[in-house]
Amino acid sequence: MSFIDSLLAGLALVGNIEAFLALGAGVAIGVIGGAIPGMSATMAVALTLPFTFAMQPITGILLLLGVYKGGIFGGSIPAILIKTPGTPASSATILDGYPMAERGEAGRALGMALWASCTADLISNLALIVFAGWLASFALNFGPPEFFTLILFSLTIIAGVSGDSLLRGALSAVLGLLLATIGLDLVYGTNRFTFGSPDMMGGLNFIAVLIGLFAIPEILAMAWNPTAHLGKTRSLGNKWVTFADYRRCFRSIVRGSMIGVFLGSIPGIGAAPSAFLSYSEARRKSKNKANFGKGEVEGVAASEAGNNGVAGATLIPLLALGVPGDVITAIIIGAFMVHGLQPGPMMFVLNVDIIYGLFIGLIVSSIFLFFIGTAAIRGFKYVADIPKRLLIPSVLVLCIYGVFAVNNNIFDVGVMFAMGWVGYFMMRYHIPAAPFLIAFILGPLLEDNFRQSMLMSGNDWMVLFRGPITWFFWTVTIITVVAIIRAGYRAARNIGANRLKG
Amino acid sequence: MTNRSVQLQLGLGACIASLFLIFVAIPGWVASPTNVRNIILSPLFWPYVLAGLTGLTGLGLLAVGWFTEEDDVPLNDAADKPHTAWLRLFGLAAIMVVTMLLLPRIGMVWTSMLAFVATAFTVRTRHPIAAVICAIVIPLVLYAFFAHVAGVAIPQGHFVRLP
Repeated sequence: MSFIDSLLAGLALVGNIEAFLALGAGVAIGVIGGAIPGMSATMAVALTLPFTFAMQPITGILLLLGVYKGGIFGGSIPAILIKTPGTPASSATILDGYPMAERGEAGRALGMALWASCTADLISNLALIVFAGWLASFALNFGPPEFFTLILFSLTIIAGVSGDSLLRGALSAVLGLLLATIGLDLVYGTNRFTFGSPDMMGGLNFIAVLIGLFAIPEILAMAWNPTAHLGKTRSLGNKWVTFADYRRCFRSIVRGSMIGVFLGSIPGIGAAPSAFLSYSEARRKSKNKANFGKGEVEGVAASEAGNNGVAGATLIPLLALGVPGDVITAIIIGAFMVHGLQPGPMMFVLNVDIIYGLFIGLIVSSIFLFFIGTAAIRGFKYVADIPKRLLIPSVLVLCIYGVFAVNNNIFDVGVMFAMGWVGYFMMRYHIPAAPFLIAFILGPLLEDNFRQSMLMSGNDWMVLFRGPITWFFWTVTIITVVAIIRAGYRAARNIGANRLKG
Repeated sequence: MTNRSVQLQLGLGACIASLFLIFVAIPGWVASPTNVRNIILSPLFWPYVLAGLTGLTGLGLLAVGWFTEEDDVPLNDAADKPHTAWLRLFGLAAIMVVTMLLLPRIGMVWTSMLAFVATAFTVRTRHPIAAVICAIVIPLVLYAFFAHVAGVAIPQGHFVRLP
C-alpha cells in the first residue's frame, strides 16, 4: 500500500461526524479533567475508557487520545491559577505561571500556555507520523530475543526514572510482573496463583487493575485528608497574550517541542522531566534570564511546549513497538486490546487504515485543542467550583460501572477495590505506580518472548545476545542502570554535603 | 514516616514477601507438569526468578535505608486528626466490602446510590442535599448509558428491577 493509499484508507475511516465528535468530546473531557485539581489527565483517561467499549475501535481510541491531549493542557490551568498542577507535567508551569497570575496576568499566562501547547502538540504529532512508520518497519526484523531485550530495557528505564528511588521503582516493576503471572501458564496451561477460582484463570483484568491503581487511591487519599485540595482561584485579569508575545517565545516553544519529542519517544521518561529541561534550556538561552521564576511569559511557553511535545511522541513506541511509554499510553493500549487490536510493527501491516486514521485524528486534535482550550480558560471558574467531595463519590460510582462493563463480572469490581488499596499503600510509601502497571502489561510479553527464545535456541542463553539489536538493547540497559545509580549516589552525596554545611 | 524508615520497612517487607513466595506460595499455588525436562521452560521458573528479584530489591532497600542518615522530615502530609482519618479509611473499606456483598443482591444501581451517599458523608461533604440528588441521578444516568447504549447487562438484583 502506498502512502497516498494508506492516507485515503485512514481518511475513509475517520471522515465521519462520529469520529470528530468523539475527538472533540475527548479534548473537552480531558481539559476539564486536567483542570480539576487532584483529578489528573491519567484518571480522566482511565474513567473514559469504559465508555469506549461500545464504540468503533477508531472512534473509541480517538476519544481517549483527545482526553490525553486535552488533559495535558488542562493541567496547566490550575497550575497557573491556584498553584496546584493538574498533572505532574504542569509542575514547571507553576514557576512562572503563578507569579504572572499573582500580578494579574493569569489570562496572558493561560493564553501563552495554550498557544505553546497547540504548537508543541502539532510538532509532536508530525514527529509521530514521520518516525513511527520508520521504527515499525525496522521492528519487523525483531524476533523473540530482540523483543525480550527491548521490553527489559523499557522496564529498566521506566522503573529507574518514574519515582525518586531506583529501588522503589524496581520493586514496583517486580510486583507488577508477579501480578502478571496470575492465571494459566502460557506454555503448559497449568494454574498459577489462581486458588482454584475460575475468575482468575484468565489473569487479572487489566482495566480493573489500572482503574484500581489510579482512581481508587485518590478516593482513599480524600478520605484521609478531605480538605487537602482546597485552594484559592485567581481571576484571569485584563491582559491577554498577543502575537508579539508568541513570536518572541517561538524559538523556546520549538526547542521545548523538540526536547519533548526526543524524551517522549523514549519509554518511561514522561512529560515532567521534559517540561523542566525545556524550561531550564529556555532560561539558559533567554535574553530575559533574570525574569525567569518571577513571572516570565517565555518560561510558561517553554514548560508547556516541553510537556505537550511529549504527547504525540509517547505514541511512537506504543504504535511502532507495542511498548507503552507512560501510564496514559498504558491505558490507551488497554483500549486497543479491548477492541482486539495489538499495537506493534504488525499493526502497520494489518491495520494501516487505523494507524493513518489515528494520525489524521491527532493532527485535528491540535486544532480542537486550540478552540476548546480557549473556551476552557474562560470557563475554568465553573470547573474549579465543582465540589471535590461530590466529585470523588461520583468517581467511585463511575469506577464500579466502568470496571463491571468490561467483562460483566462482579469479581472485577472486587479486583479494582483490592488494587485500590495496593495503589494507596504504594502512594503512602512513595512507590511509583507507573512501573507496576507497565510491568503488569508487559509481563506476559516478557515471559513469552523469553520462553520462545529458549525454545527456538534449545535453551542456549546466547540467543539473547544473537545480533546487533540485542547487543544494542543490552548496552543501553546497562548504561541506564549505571546512570540511574550514579545520579542517585550523587543526589545522596549532595544531600549529605548540604547537611554538613547546615 | 521518614525516608529512612520507609526504605527499611519496604526492604523488610520485600524480603519477607520473597521468602513467603519461595517457600510457601510458589510450591503451594503454582502447578507444574511432572515431565518438564528443562527448568527454564517450567511454569515455576518465572515466579521463582521474580521472587528472587523481589528479595534482592528488598536487600537493596534495606542496605540503602541502613546507610541513609536519619532525618526528621516526614514523607507524607499529616492528617488534621489522625484518629478520625483512620476511621474514615476504615469506613471506606467497609463501604467497599458492603458494595461487593450488595451488588448481586440488590443490583448495581441501588448499591451505587448507597455507596455514593456513604462515601460523600465519609469525606464530610458540605453539600448534603446535592450529594443525595447526585447519588440518585448519576447511577441512573450510568445505568441508562451502559444498559441501553452499550448493551451491558447491569446486575438488577432480586428486589426492584429497572426497565
